[in-house]
Amino acid sequence: MRRDVFQAIADPNRRTIIGLLANQKLTVNAVAEHFPISRPAVSKHIKILIECGLVVVHRQGRERYCEARLEKLNEVSDWVEQYQKLWEQRFDRLDEYLKELQKKEKKHGEK
Amino acid sequence: MAKNDAISERGKQDVIITRIFDAPRELVWKAWTDPKHFKRWWGPKDFTSPYCKIDFRVGGKYLNCMRSPEGKDYWSTGIYKEIIPLERITYTDSFSDAEGNVVSATHYGMSADFPLVTLVTVTFEDYGGKTKMTLSHVDLPAGEMSEQTGAGWNESFDKLAESLK
Repeated sequence: MRRDVFQAIADPNRRTIIGLLANQKLTVNAVAEHFPISRPAVSKHIKILIECGLVVVHRQGRERYCEARLEKLNEVSDWVEQYQKLWEQRFDRLDEYLKELQKKEKKHGEK
Repeated sequence: MAKNDAISERGKQDVIITRIFDAPRELVWKAWTDPKHFKRWWGPKDFTSPYCKIDFRVGGKYLNCMRSPEGKDYWSTGIYKEIIPLERITYTDSFSDAEGNVVSATHYGMSADFPLVTLVTVTFEDYGGKTKMTLSHVDLPAGEMSEQTGAGWNESFDKLAESLK
């Protein structure tokens, strides 16, 4: 099973959880209150977020608080950025190649 | 909710590029679909494309190679999902070995955070004698994987879905 940041944000409930935790640390119960889905289902999403490195849990007395690790989200833009650059470079070449092709066609046309 | 918006913005995982090419749409289309033309631009600056095989039909596969100036080969493969002549091509994209077996980005020394399968959509539009081309390159949503294998994708893709479990 994939456990990376892409997996973490693939689910809308998990995106909402990250959003909630971005503002404040919350207990699992407090997070669960925001959802119509069952507490075990929320716990499962939190577990996945922990495994993906986007959430850490601190114990304070009897409560367990969830805290978001937002810096992890930067990883998402990493592959996107790399592909963005790659495509831009390809399209620069495509642009040149299309010009070259049309020049040739013109020459042939004149003959 | 403002912060939630900021999250979705930061978590945005799409590459979207629009470019205008000073060429008729037929020619830009050919550049994508004819291996002879495709090889001429597929590699970025200073790269070459020594190999390109395209089975251009829905469900058909392609296998491409980019060779870096240092001579390192980067193979990629995928399956054409949708083809509307002169308008739109959608295909999956993955790193692969020279035989077309899908490999993780780590095979090429890149981050394990690269998705294993991504989805590329290219659209072509007339733009006053020129061509407006829009590319979208997105991570394949996890939930779509099984749906698509159910829709008659070939067995190699089933294998791929299996490897993602």
